Amino acid sequence: MEVWVLIALAGIAVLSSLGVLLSKDNFYSSLYMSATLIFVASIYAIFNLQPVFVLIVFIFVGAIGIVTVAVAATYRSDPESQFSKPWAVLVVITAAVVGFAIYSYKMLNPNLSSSLIKFELINFMAQPEYLILVLSLVALVVLLLLSVLKMVAGGTED
Amino acid sequence: MVAIDMTTASIIYVTSFVILLIGYLTAISSKDVIRLLISLEMMFGAVFLALIPLFSVAILANAAFGIAIVTIFTSSGELLILIAAIGILDRQKKDIHTNVIKIGGDRV
Repeated sequence: MEVWVLIALAGIAVLSSLGVLLSKDNFYSSLYMSATLIFVASIYAIFNLQPVFVLIVFIFVGAIGIVTVAVAATYRSDPESQFSKPWAVLVVITAAVVGFAIYSYKMLNPNLSSSLIKFELINFMAQPEYLILVLSLVALVVLLLLSVLKMVAGGTED
Repeated sequence: MVAIDMTTASIIYVTSFVILLIGYLTAISSKDVIRLLISLEMMFGAVFLALIPLFSVAILANAAFGIAIVTIFTSSGELLILIAAIGILDRQKKDIHTNVIKIGGDRV
């Protein structure tokens, strides 16, 4: 059952990422990108990794993704196709080579399919070093935000 | 407790790879910096997806969570800088397109 849910979520994520590529307007493209990231986060959720789901949805989609949508809506111009066919051929060839490599690895090592590996997210928040890591990263983002504000304000003075 | 087998891990890796390639193709085909920003976010999404099997190794679970947090925060910081750079580029050059590059009067 869970495998089918995973396949469905992965399929929708791939389809919305194709929407990013094929959409002409940057605004719709950024909306498709946000949908892709939310589906990627929901794959974390079905593996019972809700903390990472919350981080991706709140920080990555909620902050950066929404700013991207806002920037794309601000600089909205005449839609123009941004899809390169020669590069698409090369990308499809690369995908076929890597896909065959993954398939052949599984065929040559049939015993691997029977080995189950379990998730164990134990006592993460009880470890003080990780709390310090999270605090320092939050401080890093705040400092980045301040320096970005200073950069943009400096551009205004010129 | 959720367990994953090799089939599930393969589905995750293949999905991650497909999203990464679509991100690359979007970046190569992009004609303005906003499309470039969107493609970078897609590539980071693929990286997040590729981290999931790391959680399945018991002794690496906490480290995987740490790696996920570092990845999310640093990629957010990078994209924040790129968004500021787009604003500054538009203010200085009055253009956000990347298909024409002008250097000293020459057009590449």
